[in-house]
Amino acid sequence: MRKDTTYKGGITRRTVLSGAAAMGLSRVARAEQPQEVKVGLIVPLSGIYTRPGQVMKMGAEMGIEHINAQGGIKALGGAKLKLVVIDCGDTTEKAKNAAQRMVAQETDLVAATGAYLSSFTLAVTEVTERAQLPMLTLSYSDLLTERGFKFIFQTAATASRQSELGLPTLMKLAESASGKRPKTVAMLMDNTATSVATAKALKEKLFAQEGLQLVVEEVWTPPLSDATPLIQKVRSARPDLLLFMPNAVSDAKLGLEKISEFGLGQGKIPTVSFSITIAEPDMLQSVTPDVVQGIMTIVANWGSKGHEDLIAELKAKYKEPWMTQNVISTYGDMWLMKNALEKAGKADRLAVAEAFRNLDGGPSKYYPGGELKFDDKGRRVGAGVVIVQWQSGVPVTVYPPELAQASPFWPKKS
Amino acid sequence: MPTLRSLLPALAFTAIYAAISLSVSNSYYQLVLTLVPVWAVFGLSWNLLSGYTGLISFGHAAFFGIGAYATALGQIYFDLSPWFLIPMAGLLGGVAGLLIGYPTFRLQGHYFALAMLAYPLAILYVFEWLGFQEITLPIKRDNPIAYMQFGDPRLYTLLALAMMLATILLTRLVERSRFGMALLAIKQNEAAAEAAGINTLAWKLRAISLSGAIAGAIGAFYAVVLLVVTPQSVFGMLVSAQALTVAMFGGVGTVWGPVIGSVILIPLAETLNAEAGSRFPGIQGVIFGLAVVCVILVAPEGLFWKLRDLHRKRSAPKAGDAQQAPASTATITTLQRELRRRPASADVVLEVQNLSRSFGGLKAVQDVSFKLHKNEILGIIGPNGAGKTTVFNLLNGFLRPDRGKVLISGRDMSGQKPHAICEAGIGRTFQVMRPFPRMSILDNVVVGAYVAAKSDAQARQLAANAVSRVGLSAVAGRLAGELSTKELRLMELARALAGQPRILLLDETLAGLGHGEADEVVTVIQQLARDGMTIAIIEHTMQAMVRLVDSFLVLDHGAVITEGEPEAVTRDSRVIEAYLGKKWVAHAPH
Repeated sequence: MRKDTTYKGGITRRTVLSGAAAMGLSRVARAEQPQEVKVGLIVPLSGIYTRPGQVMKMGAEMGIEHINAQGGIKALGGAKLKLVVIDCGDTTEKAKNAAQRMVAQETDLVAATGAYLSSFTLAVTEVTERAQLPMLTLSYSDLLTERGFKFIFQTAATASRQSELGLPTLMKLAESASGKRPKTVAMLMDNTATSVATAKALKEKLFAQEGLQLVVEEVWTPPLSDATPLIQKVRSARPDLLLFMPNAVSDAKLGLEKISEFGLGQGKIPTVSFSITIAEPDMLQSVTPDVVQGIMTIVANWGSKGHEDLIAELKAKYKEPWMTQNVISTYGDMWLMKNALEKAGKADRLAVAEAFRNLDGGPSKYYPGGELKFDDKGRRVGAGVVIVQWQSGVPVTVYPPELAQASPFWPKKS
Repeated sequence: MPTLRSLLPALAFTAIYAAISLSVSNSYYQLVLTLVPVWAVFGLSWNLLSGYTGLISFGHAAFFGIGAYATALGQIYFDLSPWFLIPMAGLLGGVAGLLIGYPTFRLQGHYFALAMLAYPLAILYVFEWLGFQEITLPIKRDNPIAYMQFGDPRLYTLLALAMMLATILLTRLVERSRFGMALLAIKQNEAAAEAAGINTLAWKLRAISLSGAIAGAIGAFYAVVLLVVTPQSVFGMLVSAQALTVAMFGGVGTVWGPVIGSVILIPLAETLNAEAGSRFPGIQGVIFGLAVVCVILVAPEGLFWKLRDLHRKRSAPKAGDAQQAPASTATITTLQRELRRRPASADVVLEVQNLSRSFGGLKAVQDVSFKLHKNEILGIIGPNGAGKTTVFNLLNGFLRPDRGKVLISGRDMSGQKPHAICEAGIGRTFQVMRPFPRMSILDNVVVGAYVAAKSDAQARQLAANAVSRVGLSAVAGRLAGELSTKELRLMELARALAGQPRILLLDETLAGLGHGEADEVVTVIQQLARDGMTIAIIEHTMQAMVRLVDSFLVLDHGAVITEGEPEAVTRDSRVIEAYLGKKWVAHAPH
């Protein structure tokens, strides 16, 4: 699998180079020395988070390829972007060491993106901040942009913002689709940092605001060994809405199978998640499409309307069935870096960082909602969420309407 | 006390390391250079407990993590500086050591190891539950030095080195003192250590709190270097494993082991991550694992001991030709055998009254009473299973009597701990010998001397005396692992003597010895008696015993059959029946 990916990557680069030559882009090259601008991708490529890291690499490679094919960085005489990939491993210490290696040995990087897990991003940005290297991230922990850092730029809505945006939207969706507002809610969650942050916002503010009554609340420590007691509680409480928040595919599988086994599946109790785990392609390796049918999740980004060509290319090139947040956000990061480089006019990390800070790139194409603009904290202005729903074996974007690939259906209680 | 000369290697190593790190300007290599002493100190802290006492801890991350979180939370919530928080983390680690050690030291061996494993895992969930899944040390742009945030990463390496040097010196100090001797004795045989007058629980608690304090302090420093603290990164299994890996790879029970392990493994892992990892992600773990497995197979005790053994082997033939050959044969100063001139006096030094002990339905000892007079040699005999060793175990506190009293010089000591009874003047040897094989004869004996000594120097003096009394002075510097059975028996005798007992309990001291050898040991015992020692001896070899003892106490089925002068006892029909069966009674001379 891994070998296969590497092979494809090799093909890609060669194809691009020959393609670029064939398209007559050598005009710039003749004018001055062909220049390269290096950008970094620091993601887990070994250990238990390998898979998301690989997917992010696909997004980055596609982005670089498209940018270079369309003439590179025009402000730098058509300089090509070059991707430097660094494995940040599977522990916080490894991530910190890898970041140190990146800033010490790749001194000509102008920007980087990473590092999937928010704990890793925290450690990596402690290093990049001190090295004054601008860092884009799709991690959405609030803490990342609460440290007063000047060189971090968060493209996704933060965790607390996601629940603020997500729940009201969900309620509206339920009301319009089923004609009835949910009144009771059950929450099953693991105790990882993201789930805890989301649950905090929900319990302290949002449930009350939306008039929801919390009837079941269960927390587990991954890995979940048996979901029976959790689902039993849900069955006896019969809530209008179930928030099921796993962060490991195995936990998601156990929970969903049990929901199905207890006859609560197929939307008998509308089930919603808050992470991309439940919509990962890996899910279909362990459960059948009808087990996940109708399940929704609120995520920071997803392949949506307007990304059809990208999705098709991803399918053809990497055999990925659909485009998750990790691909589309990292793809978008490459374009964002290009934007900043055009604005900065030089391949210098301080200038690029300044360009990110003052960027005003209009509506965002590869992130949901808002603009290509960052506030003082480094958070993208107006960053929104998308709601994704499993429909016939594929998680498709159903909200917001301008990005929706399909209409949502709200499962009705039978 | 460590002399300056013995500390020279540590000082030289630190100086060279510091010089190298000062010349490195690449911040990534500097980070690796910082992490080497960090993990070395953590390995040393593990070694202080597990290396010296042999009680394997799988849970040192508990102390490490407490230190790391104390520093991070202290800075976040109280704006305290790591300069203050690192010593505080040490203190917290020490307290945690006491709290964890006190209940856990009831367990031994694998049970101890598994119980220790549970602590960091349990604490990990507590910190997750508290909502500290990820915390970062706030960046200080105004006054970075006051918060240990240096612009020059070399300063971190120097700080880490200073902590490592301090830990090495501390470990050396412990190693050479009564503390280290006590820990080594516990490692070899906890029961024997108790019998030699060592309060094992007290020393183990001291060891775990000191170890916890070091781990806490270095955990705190680690948080300062890493800047991000998550439960997994400081309480995780991998953290505890790191301490074990560097110590076991380098060598357990020596100050150099964790340092060697860390100097090799940490840069190796990093290089693999950087070089192999970018080409074949994941391969670094495989190579690293294989390297560790290979070294452990070749050098199961760790690199340090392997290298030292090789070095000894190479240098041994040279020295051996001249000196060692004669030394290994002529071991015992011949003592002249003569009749005892000072017969037993009337003073009773040990009185046993109605001593009884059962194990379930088995009455191992029933109503045993006897008196031991000053300067007497009492032989305790009886067939196998008669309860002889159980009587000794009751006398020196390994077992509590169900009923009865043990009066030492008129003071009731029944039910006291072995080390207390040892302090009261009873020394003992064991049927199965328990030497400390990696230590010299003299050091083996020093362990037994501490109970009577106020200072390390006095202990060595007492030990040297004891060694000379059993005639081993000429070979006192040899390792116990190289000795013959006879020499080991004599060494055990010296260890018991070094504690300046008034009464010696000798358990089958002649077992496993040839005829001539037994005579030599008998001669030593007789000499001790001449010098005023009171002795109780268990023995099977009747012939040797008859010549040695003043009186016999005969046990069978846990009860006293008879006691008296050797001549009378050996003719007693009950004794012959107990030993040989009924039909021999008729043949016995009357």
